Amino acid sequence: MRQLRIEQLSVRFGKLRALTDVSLGIAAGEVVMLAGPNGSGKSTLLRVLLGLVRQDHGRLVVDGREQSVNNDFKARLGYLPEAVAFSENLSGHQVVTFFASARGLRSSRVDEVLERVGLTHAAKRPVRGYSRGMRQRLGLAVSISSVPELLILDEPTGGLDQEGIGVLWSLLREWREAGRMVLVATHDLGLMEHRVDRMCLLQAGTLRADDTPARLRDTARLPARLTITLRAGHDRIQLLIDELARAGTIGQIALSDDALSLDVQPDRLLGVLSACRDAGEVVRHLRVVEPGLERVYEHMLTMDS
Amino acid sequence: MGQVARALIWHEFRERLRDRWVLVIGALFALLASGVSLYGRSADASAGLVGPSLVTLISLFVPLVALVLGHDAIVGERERNTLGLLLSLPIRRAEVVVAKFFGRAGAMIVATSTGLLAAILLAAPPHRPVLANLIGPTLLLGGAFLSVGLMLSTAVVRQVTAASLVVAIWFLFVFFYDLGLLGLMVITDGGVSEGLITSLVVFNPAGLFRLEMLARFAGPNALQEMGMATPLPPLGLRAPVWAVWVTAPVALSALLLARGEAVR
Repeated sequence: MRQLRIEQLSVRFGKLRALTDVSLGIAAGEVVMLAGPNGSGKSTLLRVLLGLVRQDHGRLVVDGREQSVNNDFKARLGYLPEAVAFSENLSGHQVVTFFASARGLRSSRVDEVLERVGLTHAAKRPVRGYSRGMRQRLGLAVSISSVPELLILDEPTGGLDQEGIGVLWSLLREWREAGRMVLVATHDLGLMEHRVDRMCLLQAGTLRADDTPARLRDTARLPARLTITLRAGHDRIQLLIDELARAGTIGQIALSDDALSLDVQPDRLLGVLSACRDAGEVVRHLRVVEPGLERVYEHMLTMDS
Repeated sequence: MGQVARALIWHEFRERLRDRWVLVIGALFALLASGVSLYGRSADASAGLVGPSLVTLISLFVPLVALVLGHDAIVGERERNTLGLLLSLPIRRAEVVVAKFFGRAGAMIVATSTGLLAAILLAAPPHRPVLANLIGPTLLLGGAFLSVGLMLSTAVVRQVTAASLVVAIWFLFVFFYDLGLLGLMVITDGGVSEGLITSLVVFNPAGLFRLEMLARFAGPNALQEMGMATPLPPLGLRAPVWAVWVTAPVALSALLLARGEAVR
Protein backbone atom coordinates (compact mmCIF):
# COMPACT_ATOMS: atom_id res chain seq x y z
CA MET A 1 0.00 0.00 0.00
CA ARG A 2 1.69 3.22 -1.17
CA GLN A 3 -1.16 5.67 -0.77
CA LEU A 4 -4.49 5.64 1.05
CA ARG A 5 -7.01 8.36 0.39
CA ILE A 6 -10.28 8.98 2.17
CA GLU A 7 -12.52 10.98 -0.14
CA GLN A 8 -15.55 13.01 0.93
CA LEU A 9 -16.44 10.70 3.76
CA SER A 10 -19.76 11.34 5.49
CA VAL A 11 -21.27 9.36 8.33
CA ARG A 12 -24.55 9.97 10.13
CA PHE A 13 -25.87 8.30 13.26
CA GLY A 14 -29.55 9.10 13.02
CA LYS A 15 -29.74 12.89 13.12
CA LEU A 16 -26.14 13.28 14.29
CA ARG A 17 -23.63 14.09 11.55
CA ALA A 18 -20.50 12.37 12.79
CA LEU A 19 -18.42 13.14 9.69
CA THR A 20 -19.14 15.54 6.84
CA ASP A 21 -17.22 15.40 3.56
CA VAL A 22 -13.90 14.56 5.15
CA SER A 23 -11.04 13.99 2.71
CA LEU A 24 -7.48 13.18 3.68
CA GLY A 25 -4.66 10.94 2.61
CA ILE A 26 -1.75 8.99 4.02
CA ALA A 27 1.32 8.07 2.05
CA ALA A 28 3.75 5.24 2.71
CA GLY A 29 6.20 6.18 5.45
CA GLU A 30 3.90 8.80 6.98
CA VAL A 31 2.65 9.11 10.53
CA VAL A 32 -0.56 11.12 10.52
CA MET A 33 -2.22 12.39 13.65
CA LEU A 34 -5.95 12.93 13.96
CA ALA A 35 -6.73 15.57 16.53
CA GLY A 36 -9.92 17.22 17.65
CA PRO A 37 -12.19 17.62 20.65
CA ASN A 38 -14.35 14.80 21.98
CA GLY A 39 -17.08 13.96 19.49
CA SER A 40 -15.22 15.57 16.60
CA GLY A 41 -15.30 12.34 14.57
CA LYS A 42 -11.76 10.98 15.07
CA SER A 43 -12.81 7.55 16.26
CA THR A 44 -15.64 7.37 13.71
CA LEU A 45 -13.14 7.94 10.94
CA LEU A 46 -10.91 5.16 12.27
CA ARG A 47 -13.91 2.86 12.56
CA VAL A 48 -14.89 3.45 8.97
CA LEU A 49 -11.39 2.34 7.96
CA LEU A 50 -11.76 -0.75 10.13
CA GLY A 51 -15.17 -1.63 8.72
CA LEU A 52 -16.89 -1.13 12.08
CA VAL A 53 -19.02 1.76 10.85
CA ARG A 54 -20.41 2.15 7.36
CA GLN A 55 -20.13 5.49 5.63
CA ASP A 56 -23.21 7.11 4.13
CA HIS A 57 -21.13 8.77 1.46
CA GLY A 58 -17.54 8.83 0.27
CA ARG A 59 -14.96 6.24 -0.56
CA LEU A 60 -11.56 4.84 0.22
CA VAL A 61 -8.95 4.82 -2.50
CA VAL A 62 -5.84 2.66 -2.20
CA ASP A 63 -3.06 3.23 -4.70
CA GLY A 64 -5.48 4.93 -7.05
CA ARG A 65 -8.18 2.28 -6.94
CA GLU A 66 -11.43 2.36 -4.97
CA GLN A 67 -11.23 -0.01 -2.02
CA SER A 68 -13.98 -1.57 0.04
CA VAL A 69 -13.28 -2.59 3.62
CA ASN A 70 -13.28 -6.31 2.92
CA ASN A 71 -11.30 -9.10 4.57
CA ASP A 72 -8.35 -8.58 2.23
CA PHE A 73 -8.12 -4.94 3.24
CA LYS A 74 -8.59 -5.73 6.93
CA ALA A 75 -5.74 -8.25 6.73
CA ARG A 76 -3.44 -5.28 5.99
CA LEU A 77 -4.47 -3.32 9.10
CA GLY A 78 -3.39 -3.35 12.71
CA TYR A 79 -5.54 -1.68 15.35
CA LEU A 80 -5.10 -0.50 18.91
CA PRO A 81 -8.50 0.51 20.38
CA GLU A 82 -8.73 3.21 23.01
CA ALA A 83 -8.45 1.93 26.61
CA VAL A 84 -8.42 -1.69 25.54
CA ALA A 85 -8.97 -4.29 28.29
CA PHE A 86 -8.44 -7.89 27.30
CA SER A 87 -10.00 -10.91 28.97
CA GLU A 88 -8.73 -11.10 32.52
CA ASN A 89 -8.81 -14.91 32.54
CA LEU A 90 -5.98 -15.19 30.01
CA SER A 91 -2.28 -14.41 30.17
CA GLY A 92 -0.71 -11.79 27.95
CA HIS A 93 0.91 -14.56 25.94
CA GLN A 94 -2.45 -16.26 25.37
CA VAL A 95 -4.05 -13.00 24.27
CA VAL A 96 -1.38 -12.34 21.65
CA THR A 97 -1.38 -16.00 20.64
CA PHE A 98 -5.06 -15.77 19.75
CA PHE A 99 -4.62 -12.72 17.53
CA ALA A 100 -1.47 -14.16 15.99
CA SER A 101 -3.10 -17.50 15.21
CA ALA A 102 -6.18 -15.71 13.85
CA ARG A 103 -3.88 -14.00 11.37
CA GLY A 104 -1.99 -17.19 10.59
CA LEU A 105 1.28 -16.05 12.14
CA ARG A 106 3.96 -18.40 13.41
CA SER A 107 3.98 -18.95 17.17
CA SER A 108 7.49 -17.49 17.59
CA ARG A 109 6.05 -14.13 16.49
CA VAL A 110 4.17 -13.97 19.79
CA ASP A 111 7.39 -13.93 21.80
CA GLU A 112 8.92 -11.44 19.39
CA VAL A 113 6.16 -8.85 19.77
CA LEU A 114 5.91 -9.31 23.53
CA GLU A 115 9.63 -8.65 23.74
CA ARG A 116 9.25 -5.68 21.38
CA VAL A 117 6.82 -3.99 23.78
CA GLY A 118 8.74 -5.03 26.90
CA LEU A 119 6.25 -7.52 28.27
CA THR A 120 8.32 -10.71 28.17
CA HIS A 121 8.65 -10.76 31.96
CA ALA A 122 4.87 -10.64 32.42
CA ALA A 123 3.85 -12.76 29.43
CA LYS A 124 2.67 -15.75 31.46
CA ARG A 125 0.83 -13.72 34.07
CA PRO A 126 -2.97 -13.28 33.86
CA VAL A 127 -4.06 -9.97 32.38
CA ARG A 128 -6.02 -9.23 35.57
CA GLY A 129 -2.71 -8.46 37.25
CA TYR A 130 -1.60 -6.00 34.57
CA SER A 131 -1.44 -2.26 35.14
CA ARG A 132 -3.14 0.08 32.67
CA GLY A 133 0.15 0.76 30.96
CA MET A 134 0.89 -2.96 30.62
CA ARG A 135 -2.53 -3.52 29.06
CA GLN A 136 -1.78 -0.73 26.62
CA ARG A 137 1.52 -2.37 25.74
CA LEU A 138 -0.31 -5.65 25.26
CA GLY A 139 -2.68 -3.86 22.88
CA LEU A 140 0.33 -2.50 21.02
CA ALA A 141 1.76 -6.02 20.78
CA VAL A 142 -1.51 -7.27 19.29
CA SER A 143 -1.72 -4.37 16.85
CA ILE A 144 1.79 -4.88 15.43
CA SER A 145 1.83 -8.68 15.47
CA SER A 146 0.98 -9.01 11.77
CA VAL A 147 3.33 -6.15 10.77
CA PRO A 148 0.38 -4.27 9.24
CA GLU A 149 0.81 -1.90 6.33
CA LEU A 150 -1.49 0.56 8.07
CA LEU A 151 -1.29 0.80 11.85
CA ILE A 152 -4.31 2.50 13.41
CA LEU A 153 -3.81 3.70 16.97
CA ASP A 154 -6.60 5.21 19.05
CA GLU A 155 -5.17 7.17 22.00
CA PRO A 156 -1.98 5.08 22.15
CA THR A 157 -0.29 7.06 24.94
CA GLY A 158 -3.01 6.39 27.53
CA GLY A 159 -1.54 4.85 30.66
CA LEU A 160 1.95 4.41 29.22
CA ASP A 161 4.93 5.21 31.44
CA GLN A 162 8.15 6.76 30.08
CA GLU A 163 9.47 3.38 29.01
CA GLY A 164 6.18 2.59 27.30
CA ILE A 165 6.23 5.94 25.52
CA GLY A 166 9.73 5.07 24.36
CA VAL A 167 8.44 1.78 22.95
CA LEU A 168 5.69 3.67 21.12
CA TRP A 169 8.19 6.15 19.64
CA SER A 170 10.41 3.36 18.42
CA LEU A 171 7.43 1.62 16.81
CA LEU A 172 6.41 4.82 15.02
CA ARG A 173 9.98 5.26 13.81
CA GLU A 174 10.16 1.67 12.66
CA TRP A 175 6.89 1.94 10.73
CA ARG A 176 7.96 5.19 9.10
CA GLU A 177 11.39 3.87 8.11
CA ALA A 178 9.88 0.69 6.69
CA GLY A 179 7.59 2.74 4.44
CA ARG A 180 4.43 1.68 6.23
CA MET A 181 1.65 4.00 7.42
CA VAL A 182 0.42 5.03 10.85
CA LEU A 183 -2.79 6.85 11.67
CA VAL A 184 -3.00 8.04 15.29
CA ALA A 185 -6.04 9.57 16.96
CA THR A 186 -4.98 11.37 20.10
CA HIS A 187 -5.57 14.23 22.51
CA ASP A 188 -1.93 14.09 23.56
CA LEU A 189 -0.68 16.70 21.11
CA GLY A 190 2.23 17.81 23.23
CA LEU A 191 3.69 14.32 23.30
CA MET A 192 2.98 13.53 19.67
CA GLU A 193 3.90 16.74 17.90
CA HIS A 194 7.52 15.84 17.17
CA ARG A 195 6.65 12.27 16.18
CA VAL A 196 4.11 12.89 13.44
CA ASP A 197 4.47 14.10 9.88
CA ARG A 198 1.04 15.66 9.61
CA MET A 199 -1.81 16.69 11.83
CA CYS A 200 -5.43 16.54 10.67
CA LEU A 201 -7.70 18.60 12.86
CA LEU A 202 -11.33 17.53 13.02
CA GLN A 203 -14.05 19.66 14.53
CA ALA A 204 -17.73 18.74 14.66
CA GLY A 205 -17.18 16.10 11.98
CA THR A 206 -15.42 18.35 9.47
CA LEU A 207 -11.75 18.60 8.60
CA ARG A 208 -10.47 22.01 9.72
CA ALA A 209 -6.78 21.61 8.95
CA ASP A 210 -4.40 19.11 7.40
CA ASP A 211 -0.72 20.01 7.35
CA THR A 212 2.67 19.46 8.95
CA PRO A 213 3.03 20.70 12.54
CA ALA A 214 5.59 23.30 11.40
CA ARG A 215 3.32 24.76 8.72
CA LEU A 216 0.32 24.73 11.06
CA ARG A 217 2.41 26.66 13.56
CA ASP A 218 3.45 29.15 10.86
CA THR A 219 -0.12 29.57 9.69
CA ALA A 220 -1.41 30.16 13.20
CA ARG A 221 1.20 32.98 13.72
CA LEU A 222 1.05 32.58 17.46
CA PRO A 223 3.52 34.56 19.58
CA ALA A 224 6.60 32.94 21.01
CA ARG A 225 7.24 33.36 24.73
CA LEU A 226 10.53 34.94 25.73
CA THR A 227 11.98 34.66 29.20
CA ILE A 228 14.93 36.95 29.83
CA THR A 229 16.99 36.48 32.97
CA LEU A 230 18.57 39.78 34.02
CA ARG A 231 21.48 40.91 36.14
CA ALA A 232 19.64 42.12 39.23
CA GLY A 233 19.89 45.81 40.02
CA HIS A 234 21.43 46.75 36.70
CA ASP A 235 20.70 50.35 35.76
CA ARG A 236 19.77 49.51 32.13
CA ILE A 237 16.82 47.27 32.87
CA GLN A 238 14.22 49.96 32.25
CA LEU A 239 16.00 50.92 29.03
CA LEU A 240 15.78 47.30 27.86
CA ILE A 241 12.07 47.15 28.68
CA ASP A 242 11.48 50.29 26.61
CA GLU A 243 13.49 48.84 23.71
CA LEU A 244 11.53 45.58 23.83
CA ALA A 245 8.23 47.45 23.80
CA ARG A 246 9.35 49.39 20.75
CA ALA A 247 10.56 46.20 19.00
CA GLY A 248 7.08 44.74 19.04
CA THR A 249 6.09 42.70 22.04
CA ILE A 250 2.48 41.75 22.56
CA GLY A 251 0.69 42.78 25.72
CA GLN A 252 2.41 43.41 29.03
CA ILE A 253 6.04 42.76 29.77
CA ALA A 254 6.07 41.03 33.12
CA LEU A 255 8.96 41.79 35.43
CA SER A 256 9.43 39.50 38.38
CA ASP A 257 12.56 39.37 40.55
CA ASP A 258 15.32 39.12 37.99
CA ALA A 259 13.35 37.93 34.94
CA LEU A 260 11.24 39.41 32.17
CA SER A 261 8.50 37.48 30.40
CA LEU A 262 6.96 38.65 27.16
CA ASP A 263 5.13 37.39 24.10
CA VAL A 264 6.51 38.18 20.65
CA GLN A 265 4.98 37.70 17.21
CA PRO A 266 7.11 35.47 14.95
CA ASP A 267 7.89 38.31 12.52
CA ARG A 268 9.08 40.58 15.37
CA LEU A 269 11.25 37.98 17.01
CA LEU A 270 14.47 39.03 15.27
CA GLY A 271 13.97 42.64 16.29
CA VAL A 272 13.39 41.67 19.89
CA LEU A 273 16.45 39.43 19.92
CA SER A 274 18.52 42.30 18.47
CA ALA A 275 17.30 44.54 21.27
CA CYS A 276 18.44 41.95 23.79
CA ARG A 277 21.83 41.67 22.13
CA ASP A 278 22.24 45.45 22.10
CA ALA A 279 21.35 45.60 25.78
CA GLY A 280 24.65 43.88 26.46
CA GLU A 281 25.53 42.62 29.93
CA VAL A 282 22.11 43.33 31.45
CA VAL A 283 20.86 40.07 29.86
CA ARG A 284 22.24 37.02 31.60
CA HIS A 285 20.17 34.37 29.85
CA LEU A 286 17.51 34.23 27.16
CA ARG A 287 14.97 31.52 26.47
CA VAL A 288 12.57 31.40 23.52
CA VAL A 289 9.67 28.96 23.64
CA GLU A 290 7.81 28.49 20.38
CA PRO A 291 4.09 27.83 20.66
CA GLY A 292 3.40 24.11 21.05
CA LEU A 293 0.99 22.22 18.86
CA GLU A 294 -1.48 22.24 21.75
CA ARG A 295 -1.62 26.06 21.61
CA VAL A 296 -1.90 25.98 17.84
CA TYR A 297 -4.75 23.48 18.17
CA GLU A 298 -6.58 25.59 20.76
CA HIS A 299 -6.08 28.68 18.63
CA MET A 300 -7.48 27.00 15.52
CA LEU A 301 -10.51 25.65 17.36
CA THR A 302 -11.19 29.09 18.82
CA MET A 303 -10.79 30.76 15.44
CA ASP A 304 -13.14 28.31 13.78
CA SER A 305 -15.75 28.56 16.46
CA MET B 1 -15.13 -21.52 8.35
CA GLY B 2 -11.99 -19.42 8.03
CA GLN B 3 -8.78 -19.27 9.99
CA VAL B 4 -9.92 -16.41 12.23
CA ALA B 5 -13.12 -18.26 13.14
CA ARG B 6 -11.23 -21.45 13.96
CA ALA B 7 -8.81 -19.51 16.16
CA LEU B 8 -11.76 -17.77 17.83
CA ILE B 9 -13.49 -21.08 18.62
CA TRP B 10 -10.39 -22.40 20.37
CA HIS B 11 -9.80 -19.07 22.12
CA GLU B 12 -13.38 -18.94 23.43
CA PHE B 13 -13.23 -22.55 24.58
CA ARG B 14 -10.06 -22.01 26.58
CA GLU B 15 -11.11 -18.68 27.99
CA ARG B 16 -14.54 -19.86 29.15
CA LEU B 17 -13.09 -22.86 30.91
CA ARG B 18 -11.23 -20.36 33.10
CA ASP B 19 -14.38 -18.43 34.00
CA ARG B 20 -14.90 -18.80 37.73
CA TRP B 21 -18.70 -18.80 37.52
CA VAL B 22 -18.69 -21.60 34.98
CA LEU B 23 -16.25 -23.53 37.13
CA VAL B 24 -18.28 -23.00 40.32
CA ILE B 25 -21.65 -23.93 38.79
CA GLY B 26 -20.11 -26.86 36.88
CA ALA B 27 -18.39 -28.16 40.02
CA LEU B 28 -21.57 -27.79 42.08
CA PHE B 29 -23.50 -29.65 39.41
CA ALA B 30 -20.91 -32.44 39.37
CA LEU B 31 -21.04 -32.67 43.16
CA LEU B 32 -24.83 -32.88 43.32
CA ALA B 33 -25.10 -35.27 40.36
CA SER B 34 -22.52 -37.55 41.98
CA GLY B 35 -24.44 -37.30 45.24
CA VAL B 36 -27.67 -38.37 43.54
CA SER B 37 -25.90 -41.34 41.96
CA LEU B 38 -24.31 -42.39 45.24
CA TYR B 39 -27.62 -42.00 47.04
CA GLY B 40 -29.34 -44.17 44.45
CA ARG B 41 -26.61 -46.74 44.82
CA SER B 42 -26.59 -46.91 48.60
CA ALA B 43 -30.36 -47.12 48.88
CA ASP B 44 -30.32 -49.80 46.19
CA ALA B 45 -32.86 -47.70 44.37
CA SER B 46 -33.87 -48.30 40.79
CA ALA B 47 -32.94 -46.14 37.83
CA GLY B 48 -36.49 -44.92 38.11
CA LEU B 49 -35.41 -42.91 41.14
CA VAL B 50 -31.94 -41.79 40.11
CA GLY B 51 -32.91 -40.83 36.53
CA PRO B 52 -35.73 -38.39 37.37
CA SER B 53 -33.65 -36.87 40.17
CA LEU B 54 -30.85 -36.19 37.72
CA VAL B 55 -33.36 -34.82 35.22
CA THR B 56 -34.54 -32.30 37.81
CA LEU B 57 -30.98 -31.40 38.68
CA ILE B 58 -30.03 -30.99 35.03
CA SER B 59 -33.05 -28.86 34.23
CA LEU B 60 -32.01 -26.51 37.05
CA PHE B 61 -28.25 -26.32 36.52
CA VAL B 62 -27.60 -26.76 32.80
CA PRO B 63 -29.71 -23.75 31.69
CA LEU B 64 -27.88 -21.63 34.26
CA VAL B 65 -24.41 -22.79 33.13
CA ALA B 66 -25.37 -22.21 29.50
CA LEU B 67 -26.88 -18.76 30.07
CA VAL B 68 -23.86 -17.69 32.12
CA LEU B 69 -21.58 -18.93 29.34
CA GLY B 70 -23.43 -17.03 26.66
CA HIS B 71 -24.43 -13.78 28.34
CA ASP B 72 -21.15 -11.88 27.95
CA ALA B 73 -20.06 -13.22 24.57
CA ILE B 74 -20.58 -9.99 22.65
CA VAL B 75 -21.42 -7.40 25.31
CA GLY B 76 -18.30 -8.40 27.25
CA GLU B 77 -16.13 -7.66 24.21
CA ARG B 78 -17.98 -4.39 23.74
CA GLU B 79 -17.34 -3.32 27.34
CA ARG B 80 -13.68 -4.30 27.19
CA ASN B 81 -13.30 -2.33 23.95
CA THR B 82 -12.14 -5.47 22.17
CA LEU B 83 -15.21 -5.95 19.94
CA GLY B 84 -13.82 -3.47 17.43
CA LEU B 85 -10.46 -5.21 17.58
CA LEU B 86 -12.12 -8.57 16.98
CA LEU B 87 -14.22 -7.27 14.10
CA SER B 88 -11.19 -5.58 12.57
CA LEU B 89 -9.79 -9.06 11.93
CA PRO B 90 -10.56 -10.57 8.52
CA ILE B 91 -13.78 -12.23 9.66
CA ARG B 92 -17.48 -11.68 8.95
CA ARG B 93 -19.67 -10.67 11.84
CA ALA B 94 -21.90 -13.72 11.51
CA GLU B 95 -18.80 -15.89 11.77
CA VAL B 96 -17.85 -14.16 15.02
CA VAL B 97 -21.21 -15.12 16.53
CA VAL B 98 -21.10 -18.70 15.27
CA ALA B 99 -17.48 -19.16 16.39
CA LYS B 100 -18.32 -17.81 19.82
CA PHE B 101 -21.26 -20.22 20.01
CA PHE B 102 -19.14 -23.23 19.09
CA GLY B 103 -16.28 -22.27 21.40
CA ARG B 104 -18.59 -21.72 24.34
CA ALA B 105 -20.61 -24.83 23.49
CA GLY B 106 -17.35 -26.77 23.85
CA ALA B 107 -16.83 -25.27 27.28
CA MET B 108 -20.44 -26.07 28.21
CA ILE B 109 -20.00 -29.69 27.08
CA VAL B 110 -16.94 -30.02 29.29
CA ALA B 111 -18.64 -28.30 32.25
CA THR B 112 -21.80 -30.41 32.12
CA SER B 113 -20.42 -33.69 30.82
CA THR B 114 -17.92 -33.86 33.66
CA GLY B 115 -20.75 -33.91 36.17
CA LEU B 116 -22.85 -36.28 34.13
CA LEU B 117 -20.01 -38.71 33.53
CA ALA B 118 -19.16 -38.64 37.22
CA ALA B 119 -22.81 -39.42 38.03
CA ILE B 120 -22.91 -42.26 35.50
CA LEU B 121 -19.64 -43.78 36.71
CA LEU B 122 -20.75 -43.60 40.34
CA ALA B 123 -24.17 -45.12 39.60
CA ALA B 124 -24.82 -48.84 40.06
CA PRO B 125 -23.65 -50.67 36.92
CA PRO B 126 -27.16 -51.72 35.81
CA HIS B 127 -28.31 -48.09 35.92
CA ARG B 128 -25.49 -46.72 33.81
CA PRO B 129 -26.95 -47.38 30.32
CA VAL B 130 -30.22 -45.73 31.38
CA LEU B 131 -28.42 -42.68 32.74
CA ALA B 132 -26.29 -42.45 29.59
CA ASN B 133 -29.55 -41.50 27.86
CA LEU B 134 -29.31 -38.17 29.64
CA ILE B 135 -26.24 -36.97 27.76
CA GLY B 136 -27.76 -36.09 24.36
CA PRO B 137 -30.82 -34.17 25.61
CA THR B 138 -28.68 -32.44 28.25
CA LEU B 139 -26.39 -31.08 25.58
CA LEU B 140 -29.41 -29.98 23.52
CA LEU B 141 -30.82 -28.22 26.58
CA GLY B 142 -27.49 -26.49 27.15
CA GLY B 143 -27.21 -25.59 23.46
CA ALA B 144 -30.65 -23.97 23.50
CA PHE B 145 -29.92 -21.82 26.55
CA LEU B 146 -26.43 -20.97 25.35
CA SER B 147 -27.99 -19.74 22.14
CA VAL B 148 -30.46 -17.60 24.10
CA GLY B 149 -27.61 -16.22 26.24
CA LEU B 150 -25.66 -15.30 23.12
CA MET B 151 -28.65 -13.47 21.70
CA LEU B 152 -29.04 -11.52 24.95
CA SER B 153 -25.40 -10.65 24.78
CA THR B 154 -25.77 -9.12 21.34
CA ALA B 155 -28.99 -7.28 22.09
CA VAL B 156 -27.88 -5.37 25.18
CA VAL B 157 -25.21 -2.71 25.59
CA ARG B 158 -24.16 -3.39 29.17
CA GLN B 159 -22.95 -6.62 30.68
CA VAL B 160 -24.79 -6.00 33.93
CA THR B 161 -28.05 -5.84 31.95
CA ALA B 162 -27.23 -9.17 30.33
CA ALA B 163 -26.46 -10.69 33.75
CA SER B 164 -29.79 -9.45 35.14
CA LEU B 165 -31.64 -10.86 32.16
CA VAL B 166 -29.89 -14.21 32.63
CA VAL B 167 -31.42 -14.49 36.10
CA ALA B 168 -34.84 -13.38 34.83
CA ILE B 169 -34.81 -15.83 31.90
CA TRP B 170 -33.62 -18.68 34.06
CA PHE B 171 -36.44 -18.11 36.53
CA LEU B 172 -38.94 -17.71 33.70
CA PHE B 173 -38.10 -20.91 31.86
CA VAL B 174 -37.14 -23.12 34.78
CA PHE B 175 -39.78 -22.13 37.33
CA PHE B 176 -42.44 -19.69 36.22
CA TYR B 177 -43.24 -21.16 32.83
CA ASP B 178 -44.59 -24.41 34.31
CA LEU B 179 -46.24 -22.54 37.15
CA GLY B 180 -47.90 -20.33 34.56
CA LEU B 181 -49.22 -23.34 32.70
CA LEU B 182 -50.48 -24.81 35.96
CA GLY B 183 -52.15 -21.52 36.77
CA LEU B 184 -53.73 -21.46 33.33
CA MET B 185 -55.20 -24.90 33.89
CA VAL B 186 -56.53 -23.93 37.31
CA ILE B 187 -57.98 -20.61 36.16
CA THR B 188 -59.70 -22.16 33.16
CA ASP B 189 -60.79 -25.11 35.28
CA GLY B 190 -59.50 -27.53 32.69
CA GLY B 191 -60.91 -25.49 29.83
CA VAL B 192 -57.58 -25.57 28.05
CA SER B 193 -57.03 -28.79 26.18
CA GLU B 194 -54.26 -31.20 27.17
CA GLY B 195 -52.96 -30.96 23.61
CA LEU B 196 -52.46 -27.21 23.90
CA ILE B 197 -50.79 -27.57 27.30
CA THR B 198 -48.42 -30.22 25.91
CA SER B 199 -47.64 -27.98 22.94
CA LEU B 200 -46.91 -25.07 25.24
CA VAL B 201 -44.60 -27.28 27.31
CA VAL B 202 -42.69 -28.13 24.13
CA PHE B 203 -42.03 -24.43 23.49
CA ASN B 204 -39.99 -24.19 26.66
CA PRO B 205 -36.62 -25.92 26.22
CA ALA B 206 -36.63 -26.96 29.89
CA GLY B 207 -40.11 -28.47 29.42
CA LEU B 208 -39.08 -30.07 26.18
CA PHE B 209 -36.10 -31.61 27.97
CA ARG B 210 -38.36 -33.10 30.63
CA LEU B 211 -40.67 -34.52 27.97
CA GLU B 212 -37.64 -35.86 26.12
CA MET B 213 -36.44 -37.67 29.22
CA LEU B 214 -39.96 -38.92 29.95
CA ALA B 215 -39.99 -40.47 26.49
CA ARG B 216 -36.61 -42.09 27.07
CA PHE B 217 -37.24 -43.36 30.60
CA ALA B 218 -40.90 -44.31 30.34
CA GLY B 219 -41.47 -44.79 26.63
CA PRO B 220 -43.60 -42.88 24.08
CA ASN B 221 -46.87 -43.71 25.89
CA ALA B 222 -45.70 -42.19 29.15
CA LEU B 223 -48.29 -39.43 29.21
CA GLN B 224 -51.19 -41.83 28.59
CA GLU B 225 -49.89 -44.05 31.37
CA MET B 226 -50.05 -40.99 33.61
CA GLY B 227 -53.72 -40.64 32.75
CA MET B 228 -53.51 -38.00 30.04
CA ALA B 229 -55.25 -38.40 26.72
CA THR B 230 -52.59 -36.61 24.68
CA PRO B 231 -49.64 -38.68 23.49
CA LEU B 232 -46.08 -37.48 23.92
CA PRO B 233 -45.10 -35.28 20.98
CA PRO B 234 -43.28 -37.50 18.49
CA LEU B 235 -39.57 -37.15 17.76
CA GLY B 236 -40.52 -35.67 14.38
CA LEU B 237 -42.01 -32.69 16.24
CA ARG B 238 -39.52 -32.51 19.08
CA ALA B 239 -36.43 -32.52 16.84
CA PRO B 240 -37.37 -29.40 14.83
CA VAL B 241 -38.27 -27.56 18.04
CA TRP B 242 -34.82 -28.40 19.45
CA ALA B 243 -33.26 -27.27 16.17
CA VAL B 244 -35.11 -23.94 16.34
CA TRP B 245 -34.15 -23.36 19.97
CA VAL B 246 -30.50 -24.04 19.29
CA THR B 247 -30.12 -22.18 16.01
CA ALA B 248 -32.70 -19.36 15.88
CA PRO B 249 -31.26 -17.20 18.70
CA VAL B 250 -27.75 -17.63 17.24
CA ALA B 251 -29.05 -16.57 13.82
CA LEU B 252 -30.84 -13.59 15.35
CA SER B 253 -27.69 -12.67 17.22
CA ALA B 254 -25.68 -12.78 13.98
CA LEU B 255 -28.30 -10.60 12.32
CA LEU B 256 -28.23 -8.06 15.16
CA LEU B 257 -24.45 -7.81 15.06
CA ALA B 258 -24.34 -7.61 11.27
CA ARG B 259 -26.94 -4.85 11.05
CA GLY B 260 -25.88 -2.72 13.99
CA GLU B 261 -22.96 -0.36 14.23
CA ALA B 262 -20.77 -2.61 16.32
CA VAL B 263 -18.84 0.01 18.23
CA ARG B 264 -19.86 3.59 18.13
